[in-house]
Amino acid sequence: MSAPAIRTEALTKRYGTVSALDGLDLTVPAGEVFGFLGPNGAGKSTTIRLLLGLARPTSGRAWIFGSDAADVAAAHQRLAYVPADVALWPRLTGAEVLELLGAVGPGVDRAYRDELVRRFALDLSKPAGAYSTGNRQKVALVAAFATRAPLLVLDEPTSGLDPLMEREFRRAVAEARADGRTVFLCSHQLAEVEAVCDRVGILRAGKLVDVATVPDLRALHRTEVLVRFAGPAPDLRDVPGVGAVERGADGALRFTLTGPPGPALRQITAADVTAVSMREPTLEEIFLDYYGEQP
Amino acid sequence: MSAALAGRAVTRLAARQIQRGGLIVVAVTAGMSALVAATYASTMGTEADAAALAALAGNPAIRTLFGEPVALDTPGGFTVWRTGTVLAVLLSVWGLLAVTRTTRGEEEAGRWSLLLAGRLGVRAVLGRHLLVLAGVMGAVGVAVTGALVAAGTPAAGAVRHGAGLALAGLFAVALAALAAQVFPTRAGATGATVAVLGVGLLARMVGDGVAALAWLRWLSPFGLLALTRPYLDDRSLPLVVLAAGAVVVGAAAIVLAGRRDVGGGLVAGTAGRPPRRLLLGSVPRFALRRLLRPLAGWAAGVGAYFLLIGVLATSMTRFLADNPRFAELAAQAGFAGLSSVRGYAATLFALLAVPVGTFAAVRLGAFAAAEADRRLTLLYALPVTRRRLLGAEALTVVAGSVVLLAVAAVATWAGAASVGADLPLAAALAGTLNVLPVVLLCAGAAVLALGWVPRAVAGVGALPAAGGFLLQVVADSVGAPAWVAHLSPFAHLAAVPATGVNWPAALTMIVLALVAAALGVAGHQRRDLIG
Repeated sequence: MSAPAIRTEALTKRYGTVSALDGLDLTVPAGEVFGFLGPNGAGKSTTIRLLLGLARPTSGRAWIFGSDAADVAAAHQRLAYVPADVALWPRLTGAEVLELLGAVGPGVDRAYRDELVRRFALDLSKPAGAYSTGNRQKVALVAAFATRAPLLVLDEPTSGLDPLMEREFRRAVAEARADGRTVFLCSHQLAEVEAVCDRVGILRAGKLVDVATVPDLRALHRTEVLVRFAGPAPDLRDVPGVGAVERGADGALRFTLTGPPGPALRQITAADVTAVSMREPTLEEIFLDYYGEQP
Repeated sequence: MSAALAGRAVTRLAARQIQRGGLIVVAVTAGMSALVAATYASTMGTEADAAALAALAGNPAIRTLFGEPVALDTPGGFTVWRTGTVLAVLLSVWGLLAVTRTTRGEEEAGRWSLLLAGRLGVRAVLGRHLLVLAGVMGAVGVAVTGALVAAGTPAAGAVRHGAGLALAGLFAVALAALAAQVFPTRAGATGATVAVLGVGLLARMVGDGVAALAWLRWLSPFGLLALTRPYLDDRSLPLVVLAAGAVVVGAAAIVLAGRRDVGGGLVAGTAGRPPRRLLLGSVPRFALRRLLRPLAGWAAGVGAYFLLIGVLATSMTRFLADNPRFAELAAQAGFAGLSSVRGYAATLFALLAVPVGTFAAVRLGAFAAAEADRRLTLLYALPVTRRRLLGAEALTVVAGSVVLLAVAAVATWAGAASVGADLPLAAALAGTLNVLPVVLLCAGAAVLALGWVPRAVAGVGALPAAGGFLLQVVADSVGAPAWVAHLSPFAHLAAVPATGVNWPAALTMIVLALVAAALGVAGHQRRDLIG
């Protein structure tokens, strides 16, 4: 399949004078698990609403597997969606909701659906009005994964799930990836994104600020370095890429390193090094780097 | 924040949610009362003779349908007879909908969890919502009394009528609050309250019509309102009973509010049940599934009312044939041709456009509400176009409206047949289907609103029927210029089955409805979904 699962071109959405999404150019190739990050109000949900044709772009376009996102009859044949805040018809039971979504939706793998119901420990006999937030989310997740649609658009799908269910969710994403399906995952659970995503896009104030693989993102960001010296420690203050230099009471030197490590390493090796440890940043630290204060 | 401040904040919240509707209700009740009373001299004249009035007051059919006529030879008495029941029903319906929306509806939507995590308990919060609505009803009473006194009617009658309307509204508010404690959903609470008040209205009608059952009126808010007999006896005891009833029911609601879980009702929701897979397989089937339950409720109400209309057919027509003066008066008030069975049926079938048009508007309003609280999001994310979702919904609602019209026809026919009145089923069906263009106008207006002002679907949709009917009543009662009356769709309805269908008018309305619907579909297609 040559067409990318998702492609947007200068996708823009303004509400009055407020710009919710500003010229988004994004391509998610088929088969990729893509994480979409950003603080509240950055435009993640707006992007998803535009991709699904729930909202109309002010300008720009979006395609799902090459068909216009506004042509929902064609585009939605190939995707399944889990909204951030799942609202169900309160009088329908879970089984009836799945029946409805399966009958109207792009097809359903009933055996896989039954298996997912079991794995997510979902009681389908209750009316949806009696479900907790997490159970409503599970209904939507089961319905989405069971379609075997080639694209899954998941908006904060695990915000109401307990750790056991979150593990099941990661398993289901892994199975989808193994099937060659594409996953577009919007999440604040950075550990989850780190665990399942191939690539990550970072959105800030309606603009895409970075798209990279998780290892590449790490490389671009601060690595924490701790070095111990037998003799006096070298002066690292003016070395490019080095920041937050701290001298510990035990003679250890702590600093952060951004970009190519060569210059800093040359300075360090000139002194008498007894121990070096380096720690890569977590996605959370990268995220905070983009948006706010260090932890 | 102190408890007093918290209480004031909740009161302000309650007031904000009902202020617009409250102002409209006060203006409409006071305005209609003042208008009819002030123009009494020009419509009635002063020559109505006592014998004819006595005949009118004695006729069971007149009493059943329009209430017991009292003191029609005075502007005040005429106003009470002409507008009293309509305004009491309007106030009750607004009041009960306001209660279930601002209490059970907010609780169901989860917003009360946030509110109740604050300083005030559920009793205090409910109490403050009820006090605010009681304030609106009080304002209605003061405004109606003031309007009637200003129109020159005696103060004693004006006070009784104003207080009666306010207390009838208050009773509906209290009853809805009680139902909102018993039932865990807004729809359940609304349905139960409407059912109880509907039975109350029927009790008033039967009590007015059948002397042996006159005591039934003491059990109904509308009956108690009639028993005060403003401008003739000016009784106070029925008002005391009504006030006591409202206070007892309201107090029960507040007591019960403390004995249930937040989010739950006294009637527990079902814990679990096997799936019912019928009518889930496609978008139109699902639209039908959601329609069936409300349709059954509306059909029961409409059927009961029109069965009664049918049963009364002969006694009503005989009376009007014997009393031409009243046929003339009724014609002036918009009820022409009442003296033949077909004319009588045609006149009352025209009324049918109001409930059925409102049904269409309310159902499409529920579709917009489902969009607003995101229940439709999962459906919109399926490979179904917006046009198909809206089209299936609108067609299902129109089909449901046709069913209601057919139910009314069959009920009237059955009632008329039971008293031997000459109304064939085909004639009854022709008569009820004659109002279909007005119902389509309502559906068209609702779809138009869904496309462009999705938060006002039910109101805009009900406008052609409810607004058109009020316009016609007022225009007829005050002798407004012809062009004003002609704005109402009711001015263009032929008296089917007494005469043939006014095809040019019917086709014009259908075309207007289709244009409105097409504009609505286009608007719905291009806008963002709400919620």
